[in-house]
Amino acid sequence: MCVGLPAKVMQVKDGVAVVEATGARRTVSAELVDDLEPGEYVMIHAGAAIARITSSDEDEADALLDAVLPGGSSADSQARA
Amino acid sequence: MNENARRAAELIRSYDGRPLRIMEVCGTHTHEIFRLGIRGMLPEGLRLISGPGCPVCVTPVGYIDEALFLALERGCTVCTFGDLVRVPGTSGSLASARTEGARVQMVYSPIDAQGYAEAHPDEQVVFLSVGFETTTPASCIAVRNAKGRGLANFSLLTANKTMDNAYRALKGSADAFLYPGHVSTMTGTAIYRELLGEGVSGVVAGFTASELLAALAVIVRMSERGEPFFVNCYPRVVSDEGSVPARRIVSEMMEPVDSEWRGLGVIAGSGLRLKDGFADFDARVKYDVPTIEGRANPGCRCGDVLQGKISPNACPLFGTACTPEHPVGACMVSSEGACSAFFKYDISR
Amino acid sequence: MEQDRITLAHGAGGRQSARLIHDIFRSHFDNPHFTADDAAVMEAPAGRIAMSTDGFIVSPAEFPGGNIGKLSICGTVNDVACMGARPLYLTCSFVLEEGFPLDALERIASSMEATAAEVGVEIVAGDTKVAKRGQVDGCFITTAGVGQVMEGVAPAGDKAEPGDAIIVSGDVGRHGCAILLARNDFQIEADVTSDCAPLAAGVASLLGAVPDTHVIRDATRGGVGTVLYEICEQSGVGVRLDQEAVPVDDAVAGVCGMLGLDPLYLACEGRVVVIVPAGSEQAALDALRASEHTAGAALIGRVTAEHAGRVVIHTPIGSEAILPEPTGELLPRIC
Repeated sequence: MCVGLPAKVMQVKDGVAVVEATGARRTVSAELVDDLEPGEYVMIHAGAAIARITSSDEDEADALLDAVLPGGSSADSQARA
Repeated sequence: MNENARRAAELIRSYDGRPLRIMEVCGTHTHEIFRLGIRGMLPEGLRLISGPGCPVCVTPVGYIDEALFLALERGCTVCTFGDLVRVPGTSGSLASARTEGARVQMVYSPIDAQGYAEAHPDEQVVFLSVGFETTTPASCIAVRNAKGRGLANFSLLTANKTMDNAYRALKGSADAFLYPGHVSTMTGTAIYRELLGEGVSGVVAGFTASELLAALAVIVRMSERGEPFFVNCYPRVVSDEGSVPARRIVSEMMEPVDSEWRGLGVIAGSGLRLKDGFADFDARVKYDVPTIEGRANPGCRCGDVLQGKISPNACPLFGTACTPEHPVGACMVSSEGACSAFFKYDISR
Repeated sequence: MEQDRITLAHGAGGRQSARLIHDIFRSHFDNPHFTADDAAVMEAPAGRIAMSTDGFIVSPAEFPGGNIGKLSICGTVNDVACMGARPLYLTCSFVLEEGFPLDALERIASSMEATAAEVGVEIVAGDTKVAKRGQVDGCFITTAGVGQVMEGVAPAGDKAEPGDAIIVSGDVGRHGCAILLARNDFQIEADVTSDCAPLAAGVASLLGAVPDTHVIRDATRGGVGTVLYEICEQSGVGVRLDQEAVPVDDAVAGVCGMLGLDPLYLACEGRVVVIVPAGSEQAALDALRASEHTAGAALIGRVTAEHAGRVVIHTPIGSEAILPEPTGELLPRIC
């Protein structure tokens, strides 16, 4: 329902951020994510940064799969949830 | 394909447990799943169902009629996401209204629509405010900015929706849900824990190949345990608490209303409208829009498709009267729509 | 200030028209065949000729990487080149809006001169009309061209055969992206210049190396994806694309990511899709890469006998997905 694009924060001022995604730059609202700083990565959607991105998708998938696949530690759904 | 995607794909491919119905609630998931060819990788026991998480698909016919009324009868400039341009109303779409002289401006953001209004003081600008939790805050920011700058020519035609009650309406349609990753950035995960308490299983999923495969692998593995589960499979983007500032601005400026979902009917409290204090920015109030009863094509089964009751190609109009070039229902218009995705990507057709 | 802009008098056939032709068109398009008479007269080339015409409307008329003048030369030159012909002569017809700035027209004519000179094609006849303000958008140009078809070559859209290699002459979608950015409807900034370029030299180099090239098609409106569907239909074959092999400029990918667009559907104005027999792909790639405007040539897929009429994408995760058939207007999507 919501196309998102990861982008790097270049500047933040007065609730507005300039973000860049592989060379495409745009101004987006920075109001929905607290304390954004230049250099951080965010998910953007419809002209707003909607969330901070804390790791790569592959690292995330690694951690998940280690937890659920045979040989990995057992997933604790509550701990992860 | 990297190592973990390979492991996940292997786990999914080799699934031979009891049949599982997995509903991807979010239309962008539907789109990416088709684009990545993931359906073709699934074994017989795993079935993906496309749910109602596309704001274009669930927007009722009458809403398009209201937009056409504003554009053609009131002479407003309609600013819209590209997704809505070809959605049919009772008669005609924004695209056809444009050929009759209506001003239709595509925008990337509601905030850009407010900027357009500021740059065109001689036009009456209405933004078609559709979307779920992810998109609604930007509409609120646009209105707040417009109010702050004293803009008298900007307003919203609201059809914003919230997912909580829709999840409940969908309970039982699937064995597990792929919850929408970007809606969850706003709502956080509390709602999914509540649903877990009600026996509903699901995972929050991201949108890349690694993320989708990992999420499906987690569903497969957790389902084998036979107990309800919830796992946040998108923790790099979705936090448990979600966006407090987003929920704050929406609750300050908007209030819940009962809302019609195409195909699902009216779901209590599942829509949003601007509060009375912002009535000057509510296009229905501002331009005195009459109540319009939209009439959908009676043969269209978008509703059953949206609830996962039938596959798109089971609809009698699918691929004949209803195609991406000449869509009848919204599910065929939106590139996220289940029918459009089926039509465009279905290799077996 | 009236002198700095096109007026209806410029199109009325009197002194003003004559001065416009003399100051702008004759000064830029001068060559032995450029005519002041009703038609240009040239020697007929030996053998077969290829002939094409194309109308150009683009808003804005000037954009990063070119303008409508350069576009109008490249478009027709490339159409003729795609039939295996060396472009020889062009005609051009302008429809100008009252009020169009003369300095912009000067830049447009100058680009046409430079592009024609690069290709070695002569502009031999022209026409100018002026329409009232609002009747056209700035400057419309129609060009027509003829070229001499090279001996022993006959590329055509219905000649693709299973097993053939599919090559694109450079990264895809940059023209469409540059125009989208220049309109600034979506307030995105990116360093993207149009790929607008004449491809006659690249095509000549290709046909020198691989005379039995099956298909050459320039990927203009609708982009590479649309062209592949056209070829599938004309030849009654399928196409398998390797998604990771399709060259896309980073900034174009970023813009497309924001707007939910696929670069395979964005227009190019300096890219050809080339289909050569299996075994000739390396020779074709080497020949294309030896020419400036086709230096970015890449092998992107194969023609198949299976799934005729469809373009299937081999994805990075090893699955296969259909490339959706293009449907009209490109609509950015957000939700």
